[in-house]
Order: sequence, then structure tokens, then C-alpha cells
Amino acid sequence: MNHRHLLPNEIDLLVDGEAGFGVAPLRAHLDECDECRMRYEDERIVVDALESMPHFAADSRLADRVMAQVPVFVPVHVAARDSVARWLPQPGPARIAAGVAFASVASVFTVALVWIATQGDAAVFITGLLGDRLRGVIAAAARDAALTLLGEPALAAIQATGAVGASLLLAGFVLTAFGTIAGIRRLATAGRR
Amino acid sequence: MLRALDLANLPDADVVALALEGREPAHRELISRYERPVFSLVFRMVRDRELAEDLTQDTFVKVLSHLDRYRTDFKFSSWLFKIANNVAIDHLRRRQLDTVSIDGSPHAASTDEAESSRFDVGDGAENALEEIEAKELGTAIERAIGSLRPEYRSCILLRHVEGRSYEEIATTLDLPLGTVKTYIHRARHELRRALEHTRE
Repeated sequence: MNHRHLLPNEIDLLVDGEAGFGVAPLRAHLDECDECRMRYEDERIVVDALESMPHFAADSRLADRVMAQVPVFVPVHVAARDSVARWLPQPGPARIAAGVAFASVASVFTVALVWIATQGDAAVFITGLLGDRLRGVIAAAARDAALTLLGEPALAAIQATGAVGASLLLAGFVLTAFGTIAGIRRLATAGRR
Repeated sequence: MLRALDLANLPDADVVALALEGREPAHRELISRYERPVFSLVFRMVRDRELAEDLTQDTFVKVLSHLDRYRTDFKFSSWLFKIANNVAIDHLRRRQLDTVSIDGSPHAASTDEAESSRFDVGDGAENALEEIEAKELGTAIERAIGSLRPEYRSCILLRHVEGRSYEEIATTLDLPLGTVKTYIHRARHELRRALEHTRE
């Protein structure tokens, strides 16, 4: 028989139900030593009493009282995801049908794009035609706008001087615009002071 | 959308993630999972039901308002118990500093106010709530726990009522592991001595 009595931390190990290396000899000692067994049992009574203590129930309105004080924010990315999810059908078969319909439409578009890409000459001809038509429309609109703003004589003078006259007019316009903006800013700064 | 049944089956970390997405049912699920353990811990710490209700509410408000600060490498329950324990200990420290005289609160502005906050020693006319409290905390072990130092009380409650490991308690209470073991050993020793009287 081992005559050394168990140390307090060794009793704790046994009470805590530790099963590590070195616990078996401590247990064996308990079987042989009445004094240590009594100390262990005293400790066990306390632990059993502690472990049998129940949880108390809080007030049933606790959750409502807490939630009344907790700000719940839905982040933007979650709100966006929810919005998309709302458009998707919830039941399984409906969702599958929507997926099939979407895939069909996407396939038709893809096939159409591939067909256009393979018709290179036709695509270049149609694009050129559309480009010419668009350029003509823009030029006519610009001429109408200049005519309204400057009048027929000024437009005739610009046309007579050619590109130099048009460049001078544009430079004058840009300088005037910048001068006006700088003047307004200076006035505003002086006003704040 | 989210159903209570689905939430009940999710681990804490997933419910927290849903709460961070602004899902109110997830917030309520976290409260429902932990209201009893947190309330029990706080009640046994402060030994006053009404106050424990308020402190439990404060704990959940703090936790749910700052969920973004929760680190997922930590157990959610450990973080929650840490805040609950801090709330209770802070209150006990404040109460110690702000001890109410037997003749009434030192902050009373009038004689009536002082009278209303006065302790009636040996009055015996306990109201229904006090009677319930007396019953709830009246068993020998509950009374013995009430006589422990607050830091011993937190450790012993987390160990034996909540079933936490020594390591978890050390993390929860921000204490070295050795200190936790010492506190629990001393607490058990004090409880054993306190209970000896009842067994005699």
C-alpha cells in the first residue's frame, strides 16, 4: 500500500473525472485508503450538489425587451440578394422551369451572335451603312444648332474662312467659358470671406 | 425565409452569421438558446431577480448590438458568458462602492425617498417576489455559493452549472489557467466547509 495520502490537486483530478496518464494509480489509492476516500467523497458531494442546480427561467418578455433596444440593419448586399431571391420562384419544379426558360433564351441569343460574327462581310457592310447614316444625322443636327445660335451671316463667314475660322471661334468660346467660371469662383470666394 | 425549426438546428456560428445579415429571427434564436444559462449565472451572482433580469437584458443588448466584434475563433457562448460575467461583476463593484445605508439611500433627495429606500430589518413581511427568491436561492448550496467571493462564484458556476472546461473558463474570464484551477479548488473547499454545517 502506498502510504502517501493524495494531494488536494490529485483529489481535484479525480473529482473532475480526468482520465489521463497517472490517474489510475490515484484511483487505486482511493480503494485502499479510507482517509483519502472520505476526502474524495466529501468533495464529490459538493460537486454533485453544484451539478444538480437547475437553470432559472428569465422573464418571458426578455427577448422582446432586448429586441426593442437592438438596432437590426440589413446590409446592402444582403438586401440586394434578397430582392433577387424574391423574383425567383420558390417551389422546386417552378424554379427548374424558370431556369430552363432562361437557358433557352440565352441559347437563342448566343446562336444569333455567333451567326452574325460568322457573316463578317455582311456585318462590315451593314455597320458602315449605319455609320454613314449616323454621321449625316449628327452633321445636320450640328449645322441646325449653329444656325440657330449664330445666324446665317456668321455661319457663312465661318464657312468662308474654313477650318481656321472654326478653330478661332472654338478657342474664343473655350476662353470665354473658362474666364466666366474663374470669375464666378473668385466672386464666391470673396463672398465667403 | 428563415424558419425557427431551421435555426434551431444550426450551430451558433451560423446563427451569428445570419444575425449579422440583419435577420431578426436569428437574434431571437440566440436569445432563446442562452437566456436561461445567462440569467441563471447573473441571478446567482447578484442574488436579486429583478436586477438579474435587467443585467441579463443589458448583456444581450450589448452582445447583439456588437455582434460584428465577435471573433469566430472564440466560442460564441464563451464570449456571451464573458460579457454577462463582466456586467455582473461591474454591478457588484459599483454596489460595493455605493453601499446603501440601513437608514436609506445616500442619494435620497428627501426624507420620503430615504424612507422608501430604507431596509426593514426583521420585518418579516416579504413580498411574493422575495419569497420566490428566498425559495430559489434558499437551498444550502445556493446560500453557500452566495457567500463566495464573486470571482470564485463565476468560476464555480461556469465549471459545474454550465459544464465549461478549465481552459474555456480561463478564456471566458481572461484569467490564467492556474488561477482558474486555484479559484475552483478554493471555492469547492469553502463550499464543503459551508455545507458541513448543514450535514451535521
